[in-house]
Amino acid sequence: MDDYAIGVLTNVGLISFLALSAYLLLIAGEMSFGQQAFFGVGAYAGGMLTAMYGWPLPLAALCAMALGALAQFLVGLPTLRLRGLYFAMATLAAAEMARILFELFHFQRQLEGEPVGPDGTQGFRGIRWVFEHGVEPLGYLGIVYALLALALAAFLLVERSRLGATLRGVGEDPELAASLGVDVNRVKLGVAAAAGALAALGGVLYAHHNTYIEPRNFDIMLGVHSLAYALIGGLGTALGPLVGVALDIGALEGSRVFHGYRMIVFGGLVALLLIWRPRGLLDERAVLWLKRRFS
Amino acid sequence: MTDLAQNTLDGLFLGSSYALLALGFTLIFGVLRRVNLSFGPAVMFGCYAATWVHLNFGAGLVLLAIVTVLGSILAGAYVERLCFAPHRGGSAIAAMVASFALWMQFEELATIALPRHVYDFPPLHGGAPLAFGALTLRVESLVMLLAAVLVCAFLWWILYRTRFGVAVRAVIDQPQAAQLAGISVPRIFMLTFALASAIGGLAGFLIASSHEQVTPMLGMWSTMKGLLAMMLGGLGSLPGAVLGGLALGLLEAHSQWFFGPQTRDLIAYALLFILLAARVPWMTTRSAS
Amino acid sequence: MSLLRVRDVVTAYGKIEALKGVSLEVAQGSITCLLGPNGAGKTTLMMSIAGILKPRKGAILFGGEDIAGRAPHSIVAKGVALVPENRLVFPSMTVLENLNAGAYQRSDRNAIADDVERMFARFPRLKERAAQQAGTLSGGEQQMLAVARALMSRPKLLLMDEPSLGLAPLVVEEIFRIVTELHKDGTSIFLVEQNAHMALKVAQHFYLMEQGKVSFSGTPGALAEDEVIRRAYLGSSKT
Repeated sequence: MDDYAIGVLTNVGLISFLALSAYLLLIAGEMSFGQQAFFGVGAYAGGMLTAMYGWPLPLAALCAMALGALAQFLVGLPTLRLRGLYFAMATLAAAEMARILFELFHFQRQLEGEPVGPDGTQGFRGIRWVFEHGVEPLGYLGIVYALLALALAAFLLVERSRLGATLRGVGEDPELAASLGVDVNRVKLGVAAAAGALAALGGVLYAHHNTYIEPRNFDIMLGVHSLAYALIGGLGTALGPLVGVALDIGALEGSRVFHGYRMIVFGGLVALLLIWRPRGLLDERAVLWLKRRFS
Repeated sequence: MTDLAQNTLDGLFLGSSYALLALGFTLIFGVLRRVNLSFGPAVMFGCYAATWVHLNFGAGLVLLAIVTVLGSILAGAYVERLCFAPHRGGSAIAAMVASFALWMQFEELATIALPRHVYDFPPLHGGAPLAFGALTLRVESLVMLLAAVLVCAFLWWILYRTRFGVAVRAVIDQPQAAQLAGISVPRIFMLTFALASAIGGLAGFLIASSHEQVTPMLGMWSTMKGLLAMMLGGLGSLPGAVLGGLALGLLEAHSQWFFGPQTRDLIAYALLFILLAARVPWMTTRSAS
Repeated sequence: MSLLRVRDVVTAYGKIEALKGVSLEVAQGSITCLLGPNGAGKTTLMMSIAGILKPRKGAILFGGEDIAGRAPHSIVAKGVALVPENRLVFPSMTVLENLNAGAYQRSDRNAIADDVERMFARFPRLKERAAQQAGTLSGGEQQMLAVARALMSRPKLLLMDEPSLGLAPLVVEEIFRIVTELHKDGTSIFLVEQNAHMALKVAQHFYLMEQGKVSFSGTPGALAEDEVIRRAYLGSSKT
């Protein structure tokens, strides 16, 4: 497999974490325009720990995930009681604040005579842990997908369980869920923390793949894109978001067929697709149909 | 002291442009109960159409204004047909994500049609700004404020003195009863969209000539400012949109003076977040379906 | 001569059929009334006739033309107006604006103004509150406003869904007095009611609806009144 294909596939995997994070919140009934902020938190935190303090990547990733979970939890505390669009705008505001804070964040250490660390709008270069430890692109691809597979396995397990049914119940009809004794707010906060961790994990991996990150990477476009991937892929299963990412980054961008007007094609496809299937390709009905056909 | 006055003045002018954008957003939200993420991009499409005409034909300002408005209406109609008409009564998220998808289309179209990052746009008044004592006023700014006032008056007249306005208010108030009264809700949606797009187009023309340039970022910028102003003023309220726009303009002008451009934006977003988190009543009464 | 003929109409919400094949007729110039327990599908039927809901099967013939599935505004254009359950006035608009909204499809401005005067004559309390926001009116006043608004389109057939719901007895009597007056003036009326007693006093013909189907059709007096009332509230004992 050539380097270009490996790069595309890795990208698909990285963004899938973000799309899954948006999907998780959608299932629980909340639309977030801000997951890119936690992606960024993971990227910066993980990058700083490995590049500035020499932490090993796995440890840095875990720490980044914890930070991402905490950050989203804190943002969720005052906002999850807001309905629909208000919550979405609150996440948008929070994410833009995060991006601006990244722009204002200067924190560098001198390592071997060179300054290392985030430098505001100049970005954060030199996140080279992966290269310094001899991990080949193919190997890294494997790591990303192994972790993604773990995440998916967790999702699929939860979806079959009572927790999964509770989550979907909260998403579809919170009043009904509350009347059945579910603590809707606690569930939503839990989902928020999990979504934050997931996005942050994607961010750490992203930072170490690119070796350079800057605040512009984590803008509103990334966030709305990941929301779109989750929706068009389908809200019926955790595989849905992956389908969405694969369609755009994999098929359209990767194939370079529509080079130069990929967004026009993709945008049109998305709008048309949503007319036909408002809940995505792999929506609940499609998943049910597939399950019946293959069991 | 003069600085304070100057910033307040600048803030009012800036706020007028935000108010116009917010009015367009709010009309669509109030009537359709949906957020149109392609609103800014449609305005940008109009501005780019005018830029293209300007580059190829050197047209005058009036013609450019007309092209901008018509271009925005055309782009808006495309968005309405593809993103909002099919999901009427259906999923709000699907409509919004579809409108985001079209946003992507508009941005790429802009970069294909006019590949350079920045294009000149003719100013309204080529000369020096006017001076009033220690304060300076640009002609564009005055026109912007005037435009905002006129649009408000025009909207008021439409809503409260015409048959169309009765229908629009009926649909805003109680869509089902509006249908029962013989009002064609799909037609009102379409016409409201056109009106909102026209207002956006006018705002876009004035903004472009005020900045004396257009860039592909105009789409995102307009959407963000319009959304922010609409939310600050109370979602779904037309007077709120104007107040929100003015407030945002004033906030930005003063924040920028004291803290610089990045902190300026930070403060605006922080204010919105705090108001939402505190669930201030005027902001959280209207529902998005 | 039947003004409205509903033929085997099936209307569903997703997989749930609320109307399982409803057939009935409203004669020209009559007051026909539809009784039945909650959940029988009466409102669903009204909404189907008015075009808010689209029937899955069957026909709704108005003056011989099938209007089933048409857009609500074109059904109003044909001469059918619905006074919905819960009145649904335009709360932030004034009483006068509500009336004008009801005449939306008409362009004869002088005749509309005359009609407004006529409504004020018929409903004096609305005249008192002409400039008041409709949302601030009492339940009874809102009901009158909803009726007046529907009348502004000069309908040939007036549909009324539970006009007495939640109103004090004196107000209910006033509503039914107005129904009788309208009938005398030539409007055909199709009335859904829970208040079977009052409804039977004014109707020329009535239907009972239970569980999505018509279970009885006849003139008042065809069934003993207490039998009708029992079935209107509780449904018949057969399942």
